[in-house]
Formats: sequence, structure tokens, C-alpha cells
Amino acid sequence: MLTLAIDTATKICSVALCRDREIISEYNVDAGMTHSAHLVPQIEKLFNECTVKKSDIDLVAVSIGPGSFTGLRIGLATAEALAYTWQCSLHGVETLKGMAYNMPREGILLSPVLNAQKGNYYQGIYKWQSGKVEELQSACVVGKEELFSNIASIDMPAMLLGECDKLMQDKLPENIIVAPEGLLWPKAASVALAAIDAFNAETDKNIFGIKPYYIRKSEAEELWEKRQKQK
Amino acid sequence: MVTRDVYILGIESSCDETAAAVVKNGRTVLSNVISSQVDVHQKFGGVVPEIASRKHIENIMPVIDRALRDANTDLSNIDAVAVTYGPGLVGALLVGLSAAKAIAFAADKPLLGVTHLEGHVFANFLTDEKLTPPLLALVVSGGHTALLKVMDYNSFELLGQTRDDAAGEAFDKIARFMGLPYPGGPEIEKLALRGNEEAMEFPVARLDSPYEFSFSGLKSAVINYLHSARQAGREINLADVAASFQRAIVDALVQKTATAIFDTGLKEVVLAGGVSANSVLQTSLAETAKICGARLVCPTSILCTDNAVMIACRGYFMLQAGIKSPLDLNASPSLKLG
Repeated sequence: MLTLAIDTATKICSVALCRDREIISEYNVDAGMTHSAHLVPQIEKLFNECTVKKSDIDLVAVSIGPGSFTGLRIGLATAEALAYTWQCSLHGVETLKGMAYNMPREGILLSPVLNAQKGNYYQGIYKWQSGKVEELQSACVVGKEELFSNIASIDMPAMLLGECDKLMQDKLPENIIVAPEGLLWPKAASVALAAIDAFNAETDKNIFGIKPYYIRKSEAEELWEKRQKQK
Repeated sequence: MVTRDVYILGIESSCDETAAAVVKNGRTVLSNVISSQVDVHQKFGGVVPEIASRKHIENIMPVIDRALRDANTDLSNIDAVAVTYGPGLVGALLVGLSAAKAIAFAADKPLLGVTHLEGHVFANFLTDEKLTPPLLALVVSGGHTALLKVMDYNSFELLGQTRDDAAGEAFDKIARFMGLPYPGGPEIEKLALRGNEEAMEFPVARLDSPYEFSFSGLKSAVINYLHSARQAGREINLADVAASFQRAIVDALVQKTATAIFDTGLKEVVLAGGVSANSVLQTSLAETAKICGARLVCPTSILCTDNAVMIACRGYFMLQAGIKSPLDLNASPSLKLG
């Protein structure tokens, strides 16, 4: 099975090609460029370099969030349109779960975090057991203290991944380390592997109806609901 | 010589409508699918960009799929993908643009990046199959008010535009101040039907430049009138206010267009953009154009508001001229006319 994977949830634009579970190529760019301009040309380069025929793709895997709202939509609109044109399958992968595939090792908690604005983080907690990833805490919005206490409530050493530079400004609690730079960010190859593990030939045929996993409502909706409550 | 038919898939997502269409040879509409979000934004009193983007991403592929099915075709029969890349809400534009670029790449079809306002002008080529440039276009929408000289299908000259508010913006703001529901333009027109357009005289700015517009003074005058009447406890005839305000805007638009017809000597005039649906504007402009020796073409009502048919039509004439866009085309929220 040939898989093309896309992750544009953060400032990293990552695309990858996999044949079954083997990574043919992964291409990550962090050059401050807009995903809208560079995503499709980046995918084009990937195909050119790998001499894979684009019409041979069986599955498009895409990171659906949480993350940058606009970034998620660029990735999903692109992935949907590719899958639609090639008439292949489409599978959406939760961004934080995809990041747990950066480090498939037992004996350590993996806690991917992404910036949720206003001092908040999107946090998930995962661990690997018998070659499978287990979700101990699904993605949610937390403040810094809650983020650390969520990890402390499980008695295991932990590794932070993702946008954690602000968390590292103070000394990290004991038993918590930060992933090395090469494993820190969302990686499309990880998205591909997560999609392959969860692939369902029947349901993934339907490319309509996948929504970005925003978690947070738009500010206008939050304000409106607040006003309704006050009334 | 046998000429082959050319099919363009058009995609539009610049504001609050997700739209896709298939057009044959630039003139024949095979499908026109519009998924409107008006009801979603109504409770906020205007388009909320983030919510618009969220609706677009849910609707974009089903809308494209429906447009291809309605046209009894599929992507293999499409010659090029035309898409709006500006002006508009950046997050909204990016949804349609991302999908269009991915289709163009995946299916090896040319990508045609279309300026939304040029699309509005081209809607007239679909309404009147015999219409050809050169022509004069009055573009009036929520974001723009401009007079454009269309020399041929791919060369435009901006004669003048608004210095402040767009005509549609003035309609919406006044409607909001009067407590009418969103979108306000059609509401004012409805209310004005029962009013006397000579009841009040609202001022329209006289500018030195013959083709420029200004509506902020008019807007303030109407708001001041309503405000002071309310404070003094005077009864306000809202229908009269709506009719007089509408008349002031229409007069300004018609006068400047008449000057442009006279100066350019053009014989064809087209109306474009959301406000072109206003029937008082259509009637007044048609009468004046006739007096000036020109003919007015207005888009049919379905083509006045945002749609993808006009984008596909604009794209067709770009493709014919060999104009194509690269796959790194980005959204351009404040893309200029001409």
C-alpha cells in the first residue's frame, strides 16, 4: 500500500511517502514560509525525487489537529482533493497521536503539546505497549500547571514533544525530558504510520465528512455563548 | 476544422458562499452549485471569518463533487481548474485555493487563479452570449465600488473607485443601524418599495475626480438623521429613509457611470457585483445608458451574488490566452482590480 501523508498543523510543513510501513521519503520544511504557497510544490518535489507515480497512491493520510486552524484547513483541503482526484482512501490522524509515532518505545510516557494560545496548551498522553500506541489522555486544552500534573498523575518517566520551548523556560519537573530536535515536531511519516495502523478499507473510502479537530470554538462563538448566558 | 469543447471547473470561497461550477466554452453553464452560509452568520450580524472558513472546509469537496455530477462529467473531462485567489477573507480563500491546487496537481490540469471582481464582470458574458469587449463595467459590491474599462478579455483599466466605503458596505451599515437583519442590502431595497425617495435629501460627495466615489459622508448623514430624530423623539418613517438613502447611492453610481460612458464612447455597459441585484440601480442605469447611446447588461439574479460560474468563465478566457498560474499561488486578500 502506497501512502502519501501531510502534516501542516504547526509551522512545519511535512510530507512523506511510505510503501506499507517503509518510509520512502519524508520532507520537512521549517523556513517560515506559508503552507498555502508551498504545500503542493513540496508534494510535487517528493514525487519527482522518489519516482513514484502519483496515480498509484492508495491512501492519503492527513493530520487533522489540534493545531493552527488555518494550517489544518490547508492540509485537509489539499488531502481531500488529492484523494478525490486519485479516487483513493483518506484517513485523518489526530495530530498529537501522530506525534506519538515519532518515538515508538515502551517504558516512557509521551506527551505531545502544541500551543493553544493565551498561555494554554493542547496536550495528549500516550504510551507504547506491545507494538501499539495506547492513549492515556486524549487531546485537551490545559494550562501549564495542569499539563505537568496530568503527567505526574501517572507514575512513569515522560517525554515532552512539540511546542514546548516556553515550558522549558523554567526547570522541568523531575522525570520529564524533552524530545531531541529531530523527534520534536509533527512528522508526516508518523502520520502515515498512524493512518496505516488505523486504516479501514471500508470507511476510509469515504473522503467526505472529515472535519479538522479544532477542540476550541471560534472566538466569535465563545463570545456569543457568553453573552447568551449573561442574558 | 473541428474545434474541441473546453470545460472549466470553477471554484469560489472568498466570503460566505462555497461554490463550484462547470462551464463549457466560457459561455454555457453546465452546473452551478452554491452552498450559502448566510443563516450561519446571521446571529453575528455579519460574516465571521473563522466561522466562514470552518463551513468552507466542510462543504468544499461535496460542492465540487456535486458540480461535476450535475454537469454529468468528471475530472478527466475537465481542461483546467479556475479558482478565486483574491480579494476576500484570507482563511476562506485558502480553502478553495488549496483544493483547486491539489486537483490541478493530482489530475495534471492547468491552474487558473482568478480575481474575484473580474469574475463578477465576466458573469455578464454568461448572461448575454453576444456580449464582447470593449465595454465599461460598474463593479458594486460589499467591498468594492469601481468603474472599469474592459478593453479585451484580458486587459482592464481601472478608471476610478471609492475613496472610502463601498456602496454595498454603506447599504449594510445603514441597514444594521436601522435594525434590519443581515444581509442589509436586499432588506433596504424591500423597505424602500414602500417609501418616498424624495422625502429627504441626503448629500452625496462631489469629488473633483469624475470617476471616483465616496459614500462615508452619505452614511454619516443618514445615521445623524436617524440619531437626532430618535433623540428628539420624532417619529421616523424608516421606509422613506431607506428609499431616500437608496436613491442617493443610485444617483451617485449612475452619474459617474454616465460620465464614463460619455468620455470613453463605449457602447456596452455591464453591472457587476452583489449590489447589481438591486433593481432600482438596474432600472436607473439602464435608462441613463440608453440616453447616452449605450446598452446595459445585468447579470441574472443567480449570477449577481458570489458564484463559481463567473470564475470558470473568467478562467476560460485566461486559458484561451495562455495565462496559467503556478502551483505556489497564494491567496491575495486585498488583490486589486485592473
